[in-house]
Amino acid sequence: MQNDLLSRSERLATLKRLRDFFNAHNSQTLKEAYDAFSLEHSIDEDELEILFNRYFVGPMEPIADPFASVYIDDPQSVMTQSTLHVRSLYETMGFFYPLKNIVPEDHIGVELDAYYQLIYLEEVKNVAYLSELRYYFFHEHIAVWMPQLIERAMHGRSEGDNAIHFILNELKSFLIRETTTTRSHE
Amino acid sequence: MSYSKAKVEEILNNTISRRSFLKGLAASGVLSALPGGVLEANEDLNTKIPYSGEKSYQTFRNACPRNCYDTCSIKTYVKDGVMQFIEGAQESTYTRGGCCVKGNSYVKRVYSARRLKYPMMQVGGKGSGTWKRISWDQAIDIIAKKLLDMKKEDGTLLGAALTKYSGNFGITHYGIEGMFNSIGYTTRLAGTPCWPAGIDAQNLDMGDMWCNDPEEMKDSKFIILWGVNPAANSVHSMKYIYEAKSKGAKVVVIDPIFTETASKASQYLQIKTGTDGLLALGMAKIIIDAKLHDQKWLDAHSKGYKEYKAYLDKEVKLDDVSKVTGIPLAMIKELALSFAKAKPATVWMGYGMQRHTNGGSMIRAIDALVAVSGNIGKYAGGARYGHLNTWGFNYAALSQVKPEGSVGYTGPEGAKGEFAQVGGEKAAYTDRFLNINKTARELMSAKEPKVRLLWVACKNVFAQDFDRNQLIRAFQQLDLVVVADQFFNETAKWADIVLPVTTQFEEYDVNVSYWHYWLSINEQAIKPLFEIKSDLEIAAMLSKRMNQLSKGSCTFPQSVDSKEMTIKEFNPAIYEQFGIQSWEELKKGPVKAKAVIPYADGKFKTPSGKFEFYSDKALELFGSALPAYLEVRKPYDRFRMTSPHSRWSLHSQFQNLEWMEDFHPEPYVYINPDDAEEKMVDTDDMVAVFNRQGVLRVRAKVTDNVQKGTLLMYEQYYHNKIYNVNELVDDTSSDMGAFKTGAPGVALHDTFVNFKKL
Repeated sequence: MQNDLLSRSERLATLKRLRDFFNAHNSQTLKEAYDAFSLEHSIDEDELEILFNRYFVGPMEPIADPFASVYIDDPQSVMTQSTLHVRSLYETMGFFYPLKNIVPEDHIGVELDAYYQLIYLEEVKNVAYLSELRYYFFHEHIAVWMPQLIERAMHGRSEGDNAIHFILNELKSFLIRETTTTRSHE
Repeated sequence: MSYSKAKVEEILNNTISRRSFLKGLAASGVLSALPGGVLEANEDLNTKIPYSGEKSYQTFRNACPRNCYDTCSIKTYVKDGVMQFIEGAQESTYTRGGCCVKGNSYVKRVYSARRLKYPMMQVGGKGSGTWKRISWDQAIDIIAKKLLDMKKEDGTLLGAALTKYSGNFGITHYGIEGMFNSIGYTTRLAGTPCWPAGIDAQNLDMGDMWCNDPEEMKDSKFIILWGVNPAANSVHSMKYIYEAKSKGAKVVVIDPIFTETASKASQYLQIKTGTDGLLALGMAKIIIDAKLHDQKWLDAHSKGYKEYKAYLDKEVKLDDVSKVTGIPLAMIKELALSFAKAKPATVWMGYGMQRHTNGGSMIRAIDALVAVSGNIGKYAGGARYGHLNTWGFNYAALSQVKPEGSVGYTGPEGAKGEFAQVGGEKAAYTDRFLNINKTARELMSAKEPKVRLLWVACKNVFAQDFDRNQLIRAFQQLDLVVVADQFFNETAKWADIVLPVTTQFEEYDVNVSYWHYWLSINEQAIKPLFEIKSDLEIAAMLSKRMNQLSKGSCTFPQSVDSKEMTIKEFNPAIYEQFGIQSWEELKKGPVKAKAVIPYADGKFKTPSGKFEFYSDKALELFGSALPAYLEVRKPYDRFRMTSPHSRWSLHSQFQNLEWMEDFHPEPYVYINPDDAEEKMVDTDDMVAVFNRQGVLRVRAKVTDNVQKGTLLMYEQYYHNKIYNVNELVDDTSSDMGAFKTGAPGVALHDTFVNFKKL
């Protein structure tokens, strides 16, 4: 029972760390999110941001765009049908998105935030009303594209990019754990 | 555990199921239990209306602000805040419901994953590729402090330079120049790389650059498309040409390249590059000798016809014309006589023709030919080049006063640019003007003070300007380079700070054309994505910060609304010209200026008030009063290289979009079969094209569309390739341009190269 609780708490904590990492918008918040993983590999704040930007932000073409649309619909576009599908899901789940029509809803950080809040609802508040939508969101959407992002980022990594490599492994492990928990019965 | 995909999708897609689900959601306590994060609990969850998203389209009026003849009027369809598609406005008889392939890709452009999203700083130095996000406040603070430091150290802001050109021709985008006006006297890369020699030529001849309405071409009886390729670069004009042709008009294309337009013509003449002026002179001589010239009109409305005719009689030998132009004499005679007999007849002159060392003289010679034939001032006639007749806006965003006590340049007056010029009393100081066509060397050589800050807007310097290696050196010696753009391009690569700017769909603006006579409002259709801001907002932020640091240091408004700024651009004369009472009428669709036939009254804005075959001003400025034949630049290498515009891109814009990449994924050098054989090159071979300026490695296409001795490479930018045809172009000037725009153009097509198979 205690192990189960620890496992649940770690599940939420990992998700929160991943969410915060991918939503970071400056060196400081990025470093804080990175340090929360307590990884052995340390990295300078500026160096981490430069690396992060090269992988996921730009301004040059990032190694792995952080939007689902790029992997599901069109390698060049944001705000596509899959983005609007995620918008519809969020709205049905009762979410309000302050950055609607500004940052696409299928940004990895936003999706991890949604998933975190849905897990929180179940694990901490014991509210299961959105569980089926959460399973659907994960298996029919997140599990479709985030592995592709990981693969693309891993493929494009260079020597010395260990910090990003570690985070991608954390994300990969998390996705594997979640993938094994639920299946559609259709 | 398991879930039902079908059940979830029923909830998402069936309005009744969804309503029921949302009611349960509201009752379940979910909303108060959500922890919150990037997403928040929706406290206003509407369970009364079955949710189906915002299914209906909102429509907005837009206009294409690119540097293109067509300046399409656009209707934009938006659903739930997301652009779905666009179409050409049906209300414009010119756009007539269709955009070009580039315009049709606008949704892709707006939502391109490659857009610049945040202000960023290249912390590892220019070209290092090490970028950090900075907030807008940080970015503006860095720039404001740099400007104020420079002002303190130099006693002037002439060390701050602006280079901006045709990336966005929306009228409020002159607010970028306004921003520079509002901080003091600064340095401007000015003039025009586009069409200055032709502007001068038309102004010398007619005192203006004022073309007939292109829609009239449907009633022309004879159309010469001279060095212009509308089938690729002004697709909306083609329907008038087709209509004229279907009604029996002859359509002749004169061009060194067998273009898409040539393939649609009644007749194609492949002229030797740079000899068009001589052909025009020869045709005029044939027309006059056959007494088919319009003596009555010439007597009443021209100056110097006698001298011009004497020149033709004495200096123009038809055998030489044939030999030099490469066109058989019989063909020249037939062309000249049939052109003179057809009424009305018109010539459309492309901009490529004047990008030669003799470019202005060639336009003057063709103007003279049209005048001789009596087709100036006639419906469906005219010597067509372009016009700025509908550009009489207030330029409110541009017109900012200098801060009190500003110190500027006291040297000779320089280039101004051709579009927006604001008059007024001559000041004690002026801005310092550097020649935009010699950007690299001008930036490096400017002294007292030297240029330390460069702001790049609406322009991709490294794709458009010349001598890339020298440009890199020039950029590296600058303390701060700010690039405001929509995409990361080669110029952004050499920036210190990049600022993401809006597309036309994310801001208000107003647009007119330099070719047709339509006026379009450009409404904001969607919110700006990410942290993107308009050029006007950036200027306002800079003003606010500069005034916080030093009160009175910037006069630009400290907060702006692009809609309000757009409204300020209108005036009674614009309303009168377009027959509207208010700008708001444009929300119903674009409107056309009241019909006017240029020079129909025989009055010209030249010093004599007549069409000037003999121009004292031309003699004073360019050494020849008459449109005399001027030989083109002598070759300095084995092959001539021309670099016209491609139909897949517009300068460096659009080619980075996947639709265009699908059709034209890489640059080519087009080589005549004889030249290819000599060098043992086949189609798809990689070749090096080189000269004293540089080298390019490109794939070959062997085609007799280009004539022997000439290579063709389109002027394009590829986001994923190091290709800039201008690396082979030196900055040798065309003959004219200094009269009206302050600086000569560039003789782009007088570039010479060699090549070899790799």
